[in-house]
Amino acid sequence: MNETASIVIQNLDKFFGKQKALKNVNLSITKGQIYGLLGPNGAGKTTLIRCLIGATKPTKGNLSVLGFNPISQKSKVRGLIGYMPQSPALYEDLTAFENIRFFSFPNRKDNFAKRINEVIEFVGLTKRAHDQVYKFSGGMKQRVSLACALVHHPKILLLDEPTTGIDPKLRESFWHHFRDLTQQGVTILVSTHQMSEAMFCDRLAIMHEGILLADEPPRQLLWKQQAKIKIRKDNKVGEKVVSHYPEQLPKLLQKFGLDASINRIEIEEETLEQVVLEMIHTHEKEINSGDNS
Amino acid sequence: MKTILDNIGVITARVLNQLRRDRRFVAISILFPLIIIYFIKIVFDVLAPPSFNISQYVVPYAAFIVHFITFILTAIVLVRERVAGTMAQMFVVGYKQIEIIIGYLLAYTVLATVQSLLVLLELNWLFDLGFSSAQFASMYLVMWLLAVISMAIGMLVSNFARNEGQVFPFIPLVILSVILSGIIVPVEKLPDWAQILSYLTPLYYANEVLQELLKGGTLLDDWLMFAILPIYGLVVVGIASISLREKD
Repeated sequence: MNETASIVIQNLDKFFGKQKALKNVNLSITKGQIYGLLGPNGAGKTTLIRCLIGATKPTKGNLSVLGFNPISQKSKVRGLIGYMPQSPALYEDLTAFENIRFFSFPNRKDNFAKRINEVIEFVGLTKRAHDQVYKFSGGMKQRVSLACALVHHPKILLLDEPTTGIDPKLRESFWHHFRDLTQQGVTILVSTHQMSEAMFCDRLAIMHEGILLADEPPRQLLWKQQAKIKIRKDNKVGEKVVSHYPEQLPKLLQKFGLDASINRIEIEEETLEQVVLEMIHTHEKEINSGDNS
Repeated sequence: MKTILDNIGVITARVLNQLRRDRRFVAISILFPLIIIYFIKIVFDVLAPPSFNISQYVVPYAAFIVHFITFILTAIVLVRERVAGTMAQMFVVGYKQIEIIIGYLLAYTVLATVQSLLVLLELNWLFDLGFSSAQFASMYLVMWLLAVISMAIGMLVSNFARNEGQVFPFIPLVILSVILSGIIVPVEKLPDWAQILSYLTPLYYANEVLQELLKGGTLLDDWLMFAILPIYGLVVVGIASISLREKD
């Protein structure tokens, strides 16, 4: 195992009957990194996270979480990770404080009650700490759920769509906190639908139908984008679509010799969302052509 | 060991805390058996001849009602945990199967203790059975043990259901146990193969001990049948703990 890798996944398959949820997934997540899992519903993001917490047994492949196998060495792994599920798993008739206390009790450390109050303050629920959870909005439940995952200072945080239903201001503060945690050596694996959030990650995995389509820093993914270049010379407009435009654009402009009459160059960039969707569409076409042949 | 006991204690406290706030659940658990017994009294008043030995029937019937209601409520509560995802989350944060099962069992035992006591008090008063204090205490112990076993069976069944609806196919099995237990017809009158099935239902052992007590005997008179009840409970708790599923 790479010494700096907190999570290593090798040749991972997970089948539910005939349905293939994960197909030959390989990835390595460096300590102190925010690693994003991006993909549509049913891509396999949650299944991958559940394999890492030992809640789902892989059909094939090797997993290592901080050097431990999450299936056979479950008890060692569980004290070291914090997991936030996609839908908040909370007791509606208990208060936020009681839920956080219950779900962090087996991994409690010194000054347990003080620590619970700290995380409650961080998720912005101090005034509602002793209200029963059934009175909370969806976003507030998400915050309680995140607090449960943070109490015991985990070395790895596994967050399944943590900011769904959270307002933009609090979302920003969450991401700042995630970044602070990585400075302390915490590794974060986060699944998300939000492209804007994906840009906060150090590295991104694009998943579709159980397959890893890409595993790169988001900036590098953006370089895959196509750019539509519109050049207006006198009253005529020329258009050209280029890939890897940071390298190609200078070459293209040289052809025009940067004539003084070129007075305006517009670049319409693809967003990360378009890049990801393009990858998924290409993958779908490959699957369909494979089915037809 | 201390960790295990601490975790069991926290689960028990959490369930009791929830019960304290879920008054509807507590009311259903306690009032339903009392209401059903009241209606049984009306049925017996209308149908039973004067010379009929009522206690021989009503005490085991009450035991069955406690058995049935405790079983079904425990199973549904645990399946609800599974559906809500809180059961899976308990595993993820580090609670173990045996801690979860015993934690629940201890909390619901508090409810069963109150439930069995009220049922027996109502029976004694409504049917004017005139139990001695020793008879009452012995019957209470049997009924309490049966309630605890019913909870353990409810927990076991909940392991095989993915939602509340999947608990219902198990209900006929519990109802069948009334016939198999000898409460309505003596077990000896059943076909040989059905008699073997009788030994699988806890109601059979409870009924045997209760009949002995109703004849004026003590728990020691049929000590084997009585001893089987806690053993039965331990076996079911063991199987429920082993079969408590975490993985998909």
